[in-house]
Amino acid sequence: MTGAPVDALQRVPLFADLNQRELKQIARLFKRRTFPAGETVVQEGSGGAAFYVIESGEATVFVAGKEYSTLGPGDYFGEIALIDEGARLATITATSELGCYGITFWDFRPLVEANGVIGWKLLQSLARMYREARAG
Amino acid sequence: MKGTVPLVKAHETALYGSKAVGLGQAMRDGLPVPPGVALSGAIVEAVAAGNDRAIKQVAKTARPLGGPLAVRSSAVDEDGADASFAGQHLTLLNVPSSEQLGAALSEIWWSANSDSAISYRQRVGLFTRPSVGVVVQALLDPESAGVMFTRNPINGADERMIEASWGLGEAVVAGQVIPDSYRIHRSGEVLQRTPGFKKIAIRTLPEGGTFEQEVQPELVEQLCLDDGQLAALNGLADRCEQIYGPARDIEWAFADGKLHLLQCRAVTRSGS
Repeated sequence: MTGAPVDALQRVPLFADLNQRELKQIARLFKRRTFPAGETVVQEGSGGAAFYVIESGEATVFVAGKEYSTLGPGDYFGEIALIDEGARLATITATSELGCYGITFWDFRPLVEANGVIGWKLLQSLARMYREARAG
Repeated sequence: MKGTVPLVKAHETALYGSKAVGLGQAMRDGLPVPPGVALSGAIVEAVAAGNDRAIKQVAKTARPLGGPLAVRSSAVDEDGADASFAGQHLTLLNVPSSEQLGAALSEIWWSANSDSAISYRQRVGLFTRPSVGVVVQALLDPESAGVMFTRNPINGADERMIEASWGLGEAVVAGQVIPDSYRIHRSGEVLQRTPGFKKIAIRTLPEGGTFEQEVQPELVEQLCLDDGQLAALNGLADRCEQIYGPARDIEWAFADGKLHLLQCRAVTRSGS
């Protein structure tokens, strides 16, 4: 088997509207990565290399040193720095052993450019984040 | 699937990276390089993607090396400048056997695709898709190891500069000890030998990986190279310069009484 299991991606809201053929296509682009408990997965301020979907385990999100939220299976993170090639906006730490599927910038960008459904979902996600930020 | 060759047959930097091709050339020139295999960037990526065929192929290719193994990255980039990625890409020492190679290669692939590696690429203007070849070699269990410049890199003097410590050379490379230092004229005359303060030695663990072993008190400040070993290193420096040209930066190790060449590259900075 190469890449991520299709059913793991299907549970991710970002990919939920894709059909099986589309899911199989993008699943091949993902690679598995495991982080031990306590490891910093991404560091606020650092450049971003990959976008991750969590398959198992939990992670905590910190913004400016303050705990912000918790992530678990089906959640995804890391897309913002890949979209604008800017710095990571948050630090994410594995609170238990964290099994992820990651896709790097060099595969993520062509994927989004070629797939309007994923692009639209990303826009909706960004719009939601913008509203949340405005609401304080 | 192509992408695995014995180290001695690694010719193409664009496939295997500069470290693999440099070591392959050293083997072809008769230098004492430990046996190994070179893996292309494409097959390393296929292994990281979980491709069963690729995983089986690399395990089969590396099986004759036995174990444990040293698994080192060999960056493949448009300028072939492996040295420019020093410290960015992972090296895994003491992978117990070829059956554990898949997980090791996945870690190395991710090290080239990590946030820190990508930040570095952005900083130096090399924001291109990384490709990382790998060198797999039988891991030595050295009595002593270290680095050698075939010419003084600070003032350009025509002398060998050697730094040495007990165990694996990573203790010297990573600055974990104050190594012994030696200066040798190319005629073989030892100009200076200064004992270091070598409180730890990096050793291998039976289950894989390495650990810091406390050095016996009487060895901490005892020189770890004798005259015969210094002469052998001077001879190795001669051979490397004959083949590759002057001013080489060499990593070496003495294991089972023999001198081994682990890396030979051009010195990147010189005072002359």
